[in-house]
Amino acid sequence: MNMDKHGSKNFLLRHETILFVALVAEWIFFDAVGHNFGTYDNSCDILRHSCEIGLLALAMTPIILTGGIDLSVGSLLGLCAILFGKFWRDAGMPIPVAAVCTIGIGALAGGFNASLIAWLRLPPLIVTLGTFSLFRGLAEAITHGVDTFTDFPNSFLFLGQERWLGIPSQAPIFIFAAIFFWLLVHRTTFGRSFRAIGFSPEGTRFAGLPVARRVAMVYVLAGIVSAIAAIIYTARLGQAKADAGTGYELFAITAVVLGGTSIFGGIGSIHGTVLGVAAIAVLHSGIAHALLPGEMAGMLTGVLLILALAGSILPKMISGLCARKSAPRLAKQIS
Amino acid sequence: MKKYFRELSVAATLAILLLALAIFAPPFFQPQPLLSLVTREAPTLVVACGMALVIICRQIDISVGSMFAMCSVCAGLFAAMHWPLALVAAASVLIGAMFGAFNGALVAGLGLPSIVVTLATMVTWREGLRWLRQGVWVDLPNGVQWFGLPQMAGQWTLAVFALAILIFLALAMKYLSAGRFIYAVGSDAEAARLAGIRPRLTTFLVFVFLGALVGFAATMNMAQSPQVDPNSGTGLELKVIAAVVVGGVAISGGRGNLWGVFAGLLLLACISPAVTYLHIEAFWGKAMQGAIILLAVVADGLRGRKIFNHG
Repeated sequence: MNMDKHGSKNFLLRHETILFVALVAEWIFFDAVGHNFGTYDNSCDILRHSCEIGLLALAMTPIILTGGIDLSVGSLLGLCAILFGKFWRDAGMPIPVAAVCTIGIGALAGGFNASLIAWLRLPPLIVTLGTFSLFRGLAEAITHGVDTFTDFPNSFLFLGQERWLGIPSQAPIFIFAAIFFWLLVHRTTFGRSFRAIGFSPEGTRFAGLPVARRVAMVYVLAGIVSAIAAIIYTARLGQAKADAGTGYELFAITAVVLGGTSIFGGIGSIHGTVLGVAAIAVLHSGIAHALLPGEMAGMLTGVLLILALAGSILPKMISGLCARKSAPRLAKQIS
Repeated sequence: MKKYFRELSVAATLAILLLALAIFAPPFFQPQPLLSLVTREAPTLVVACGMALVIICRQIDISVGSMFAMCSVCAGLFAAMHWPLALVAAASVLIGAMFGAFNGALVAGLGLPSIVVTLATMVTWREGLRWLRQGVWVDLPNGVQWFGLPQMAGQWTLAVFALAILIFLALAMKYLSAGRFIYAVGSDAEAARLAGIRPRLTTFLVFVFLGALVGFAATMNMAQSPQVDPNSGTGLELKVIAAVVVGGVAISGGRGNLWGVFAGLLLLACISPAVTYLHIEAFWGKAMQGAIILLAVVADGLRGRKIFNHG
């Protein structure tokens, strides 16, 4: 939180720099400990497996920047995955058409979240908690909980399981999305307005910015990205089921917060999020390659998250203790 | 009347649902399945009461599901060592309170945002439990299920426990100064501090209290089956938060009461059996729960807007 103020002056103390150093240390550690960890094949594998969560985390960053949250992305991924299967198998659409329709559904679902949050001004946490149930429930209802879509053509599975120019074939999509979101958040007036809304929605409105439209935009974007992630997910696993992407929203939020974005909004960066995704992905792969119990990866992610938070708040604590005006701060931090 | 509009509308919705069931599906009201439904939801009600307190205090705790699993397994292991049941319950409550204290210390002590702290502890406890237990079920000795009572009596005991906790807390929130402190801190922590309340201590204790209730709920859950599922409590947090929100507790703190939470929980709990009895495909249950949560918040939003325009 306080990091940004100092960070713009002091590159070395910036959250992203610390995270990058931690990531490199993590890599070196697992390379020394694990079997076949540092190989090119494994790097490709890490990249391949982090694409879907990476995409969700990218879309989550602008949302959290505006002070919101979207718990429904994982459920929407499931809904889009089975609708994609439905379009292709039952409606007989060719894959590209089905993909476009799925993305349209994603945009629609995102628009549903957006209209409740931006125009009815309902709390995002609760709205997306509702759609979290709704989207997953629709997916289960449509498939009756058992229907699985498989036997996709090889030309489609190429997107999820093969390599293109030596890198996993879904990686270009992730890289393109990362560049898109980086430009959006860091190099356009939209990005500035997201931060402004995160700091003070009322103030932003008084400054003449269309707050409702900007907030709506980030949720629609998240819907579209969830649909794209759903298609990639289906291509990687070769099947679409109603439980696709369960729990992904939590991984995405973890990656964003680990990447230095303040959960209260206003502060954060896309490159931080990318580093956060990488840190989690490397941790998961490294734990597996070091033959440690897989549960450790989840535990360490939680511990890392708390440490990252505590680290971001520590400078403030110390300066607060020095000034000894600590009591009024609670009100601000909690709400 | 107007003050409790939200609680009353939830109760009315519940009444309509029950009425529809009475007309179209009278078998729903057979005593045995109904008692089973109540018993199954009893631990959820206890957790929902604690969660309501936390949300009224303008915090949130999404780690309750993992705490629940931890406490369940610990309680199961104690029971397997043939500890007396009262001691098992006390130990489970204590363990829950410790987990709650951990969350509370990070939130109130360090001033970290509760949603992220409890997100982290949720993952950590859940994975920690998987690591320690490797998904093994805990076998309970005879005499633990239904507290060694006949099934019917055991089910009534559980229901009475849950209702007693609900009634005590609902009255405490209204009439005890501790309850009013929680509302005060949730409405405005700074104003509460100026009024002589200690917001940090209140926040910390509310988390500890939720943890203790989760521990007790875990014991209640353990008493319902001959084994303890190490994955119990998965998704409990969302179920509980949904019940609290549908019951009219404002997520922005300071508003709501436990009677509303009770109605909200019953409404959500009745949906999946209702879906079955009304011959709708069971898979629609989850979607309908989501739709009800959304309806509840949309109703709130429209109402809030109206007041805003008029005032």
